[in-house]
Amino acid sequence: MRTLVEVVARPGPGGRTVLPVVRASGQLAVRRTGPTTVHLVATAFGPLGGDDAEVRLVVEAGARLIVRTVAAAVVLPARGESPPSLQRIRAEVAGVLDVRPEPTVVTAGAHHRAVLHAQLTEDAELTATEQVQLGRSGEQPGRWTGTTRIERAGVPLLHTTVGLGPGAAAWLPPVAPQAYASTVHLGSTAGRATGDDAVRLPLDRGWVATAWGERLTPTLARLALLGQPAPVEEALS
Amino acid sequence: MTAALLALADSRLPAGGHTHSGGVEQAIVAGLVHDPRSLEVFLRRRLVTSGAVAAGAAAAAAREGGGAPADRRAGWARIDAETDARTPSPALRRASRQQGRGLVRVGRRAWPAAVWDDLPDRPHHPLALGVAAVAAGLGPDDAARAAAYLAVTGPATAAQRLLAMDPITVATVTARLGDEVDRVAAATSTTSTGISSRTPPGTSPGTSTGVSTGTTDGDGRDPDWLPADTDPLLDLLAEVHADRGDRYFAS
Repeated sequence: MRTLVEVVARPGPGGRTVLPVVRASGQLAVRRTGPTTVHLVATAFGPLGGDDAEVRLVVEAGARLIVRTVAAAVVLPARGESPPSLQRIRAEVAGVLDVRPEPTVVTAGAHHRAVLHAQLTEDAELTATEQVQLGRSGEQPGRWTGTTRIERAGVPLLHTTVGLGPGAAAWLPPVAPQAYASTVHLGSTAGRATGDDAVRLPLDRGWVATAWGERLTPTLARLALLGQPAPVEEALS
Repeated sequence: MTAALLALADSRLPAGGHTHSGGVEQAIVAGLVHDPRSLEVFLRRRLVTSGAVAAGAAAAAAREGGGAPADRRAGWARIDAETDARTPSPALRRASRQQGRGLVRVGRRAWPAAVWDDLPDRPHHPLALGVAAVAAGLGPDDAARAAAYLAVTGPATAAQRLLAMDPITVATVTARLGDEVDRVAAATSTTSTGISSRTPPGTSPGTSTGVSTGTTDGDGRDPDWLPADTDPLLDLLAEVHADRGDRYFAS
């Protein structure tokens, strides 16, 4: 099933943000839940194998947009040989965009592909967080492949594809995490930092922090230790 | 297959690769690599992530070699930027650019050609490899093969030295990965033509309600995108390694 969500954030009178376009079709509904916040609401079980969802976000200069979801997405396989489910977020950002969906849980036999493609102008700000758990409690892990591509003024700043789960590239024992979380931020600088199964890497006026482990909650805690920009800049080389 | 390809992938080519362990030194310290079996797992992991990225960039660089000088200069600058975006770890960026510079130094003398002048300063290693392939009369597939092969053999040799492993065992491990090396290299020739040629959208957000839909393959990836497979574990190992004062290898 195809799902399409479109939200446009535009500066309004008095420094506020107006949302001239808020629409959704397919398996997601979109609700405005705050002055600059929308929540995506799943209207069906899933995603199921073969589902294809695209979220198009436009944040104009001077506007802010916060995107959340109301609940974890539980990815289920289709009957028989299940094709992957696909979710693409395409964002054009000249203002400030903050995207933090609830966790994606990939059940046994399912394969979810997530793509975030953000195109920023020179002064745009972006914060995007991904949270993944392979398998429900006590269940075999499913498979997750996530691609992040971020460009600023046409220059690629970050382009990575992480594969998790049975058969995936970076998922060979003994390091085969079932939980994964990553935050990418553009707009302020933070230096590199390392932790237990967690690393923060500097980007040009930004950073990306990643943590992995067996369960999502402790993984998120370790990510949070790195996820805040350092008050003092470390030397970047 | 030509002798030039063998020379390009030869560990005796004095391009400075022997001072880098491709992450294996820190993997040994972390207890992840300790015997032939765990070495093979590590090499496979590296091959299908950073090896695939290197193969994709090297092949793309070789493809740009046939263009007019201005075009290939621009193309190589773009590939350098794309490689940067796929190498967010400062330690791995440094290692790649050091090895790129080393390869340019020897490549200019070994295979003199005008194309060397069109490279950016301190290019990423896969980019230099692609240009070396052009200078040596090789094609994009050869460049990809050399890049994928070197992604395995560099760390394999380092592990042999650090763990005092039996050279025959390490050679066997490397040989067993041969099919996977070929598969990684071959994938780069079918998935991408280099850099997206579409007009970059995003210059005027909000002028339309949508974002450029672009095109994607069944995986949701833009077919114009070069491989970007990554392993956060390798990033972490590289950064922890860079902080150590007692390391044998530069990376």
